[in-house]
Amino acid sequence: MEKNVTYIALFAALIAVLGLVPQITLATGVPITAQSLGVMLCGTVLGARRGALAVLLFVALVALGLPLLSGGRGGLGVFASPTVGFVLGFPVAAFVTGWIVEKWRGQIGLVASVAAFVGGVLVLYAFGITGMAIVLGKSWPAASVLVAAYIPGDLIKTVLAGLITQGLARLRPHAVLSRA
Amino acid sequence: MLTLTSLRETPLHRLPAGWKLAALAAASLWLFTLQSGAALGVTICATGAVYLWLGRDIAARGIALLRPLWPFLAVLGLWHLWIGDMAAGIFLAGRMLCAVALANLVTMTTQLEALIAVLTRLLAPTARIGLQPQVLALSVALVIRFTPVLMDKTAQLMQAWRARGGGRANWRIVLPVALIALDDADHVADALRARGGIVPQNGLRPE
Amino acid sequence: MPATSSAPATDVAPEICLTAAGYGVAGKPILTDLTLRLTEARIGIVGYNGAGKTTLLRLIAGLIAPTGGTVRVSDLDPFRDRKGLVHRLGILFQNPDHQIIFPTVLEEISFGLRQQGQDSPSARKAAEAILARFGRSDWGPAPVTALSQGQRHFLCLMSVLAMNPATILLDEPFAGLDLPTIARLRRHLAALPQQLITITHDPATLAGYDRILWLMQGRVHADGGAEVLEQYSAEMTRLGEQDADTHLSA
Repeated sequence: MEKNVTYIALFAALIAVLGLVPQITLATGVPITAQSLGVMLCGTVLGARRGALAVLLFVALVALGLPLLSGGRGGLGVFASPTVGFVLGFPVAAFVTGWIVEKWRGQIGLVASVAAFVGGVLVLYAFGITGMAIVLGKSWPAASVLVAAYIPGDLIKTVLAGLITQGLARLRPHAVLSRA
Repeated sequence: MLTLTSLRETPLHRLPAGWKLAALAAASLWLFTLQSGAALGVTICATGAVYLWLGRDIAARGIALLRPLWPFLAVLGLWHLWIGDMAAGIFLAGRMLCAVALANLVTMTTQLEALIAVLTRLLAPTARIGLQPQVLALSVALVIRFTPVLMDKTAQLMQAWRARGGGRANWRIVLPVALIALDDADHVADALRARGGIVPQNGLRPE
Repeated sequence: MPATSSAPATDVAPEICLTAAGYGVAGKPILTDLTLRLTEARIGIVGYNGAGKTTLLRLIAGLIAPTGGTVRVSDLDPFRDRKGLVHRLGILFQNPDHQIIFPTVLEEISFGLRQQGQDSPSARKAAEAILARFGRSDWGPAPVTALSQGQRHFLCLMSVLAMNPATILLDEPFAGLDLPTIARLRRHLAALPQQLITITHDPATLAGYDRILWLMQGRVHADGGAEVLEQYSAEMTRLGEQDADTHLSA
């Protein structure tokens, strides 16, 4: 019980920190925000239910007015802005990612990457594009053009999510609850 | 940890959080259903008037909080210039700005504790499916406590990285940060157990 | 120092009984076949790094469950019934940063009291009382991050004392502290009416203790009074005079 609560809380904090830490660069030197990487890790490490709860807790705290989204954004205004779909999609993305890692018992790094792609890219962008289409009053294809620029970075993050999950499984096998 | 709530008490601070949230929900619904530019204009003017009535500092903060939206304004502007329907673009931009400004107004004038209390009350029915309000309150407290701690430790890691000539930290820093989060979670779980642990109110202990 | 005025524990020392208790991780034994009855007022646990001292303390405190045998404190299983023992057992972690959960001193102390079933105002009052008892009333609203390492350690001790447990488990209570802080903390501890079970590397800490347990590789190597402490000190001195860690390769 205690462990469930603290893992969920600390991973909610991890998502915040990954969004607030400045200047993490990819191999190519392109600076990225690692916030969605944090969401993927919630799923790959904590599994479907705990991962989704961690992300839900994070989203709830953003709604309560803590400036935890990348760039220090937060508050109820987030839920009226064009990125609302991504924020609401975060918990679902983590759940789908975690569900795949729990069900598909293949090599953890590979499974985590594929799961992060399905949850953290396919599902998340479906939510994100829908939100953007509604707030900006555009069609779905038009809104998807607007976010296309971010997809390559997120594809790289799915690979990183796999590598990091594999590293955690090696260093702290007891802590990777998605495979416990 | 810093919140976005304004430290200076305004008349809006004293209104019950539940009312403010209900009013915000109604206003957002109104904004997204209205069709006429005139109605939108009136709503925007009313929102601006509330900000100015609360004080110049609140209004300035309110404008600063809208700043992250500029890329979307630029996109809307270019788009509607291209299709030659600037009026529609201005309408959409105004609706978005007004909705966000109203929501920020509630955030700026409501204490975190009051919002947590509303959230706990809203979630009270979920106790039946096993979600305990006091567990939620503890979780919220833990995130607020450990986000700055994790942030500090991450900054230290980045300094250590630079001290050894690593240059700017790259994605590899995420693994040790995640390790710290996992280890801290273990330590806090121990610290909670050492002082009696979390026992759900019905006395049953899951696990 | 007003420490000597501390109130007596509400209960007599709970009986701590281990029966063939063992603990292992992934098949690797850390503690093996321990049968002990710990009733003395002052018990010291000594041993090399990795001898299983901290694991033994965590077992008694109910932070972990034994993988073999049983652990009982006042006839309760400390792992299953941690809440029931919250009045009986307090533990001071080696690293205060692993123990402190809340951002301000008052919140940290009150949390344990809330856990004992007090309501918020009375927990707050009791927390203020313990701060006053140690002359630290000004600490109440202070953020824990503003305290030094030694002060945080002291805060953890006050948090435990506020809950007034009959037994306090101490894991290296003086590690990393400066000398004046050690002297002060030692005086506070010596004056406590509670049963103390202390892990330490430093024989001086255990002067005057009723019973010394020397653990080696997860088993009791020696169990007795001051003579065990003397044997241990002599062995430590002897090893220190050797050049290499030959005992490690044994």
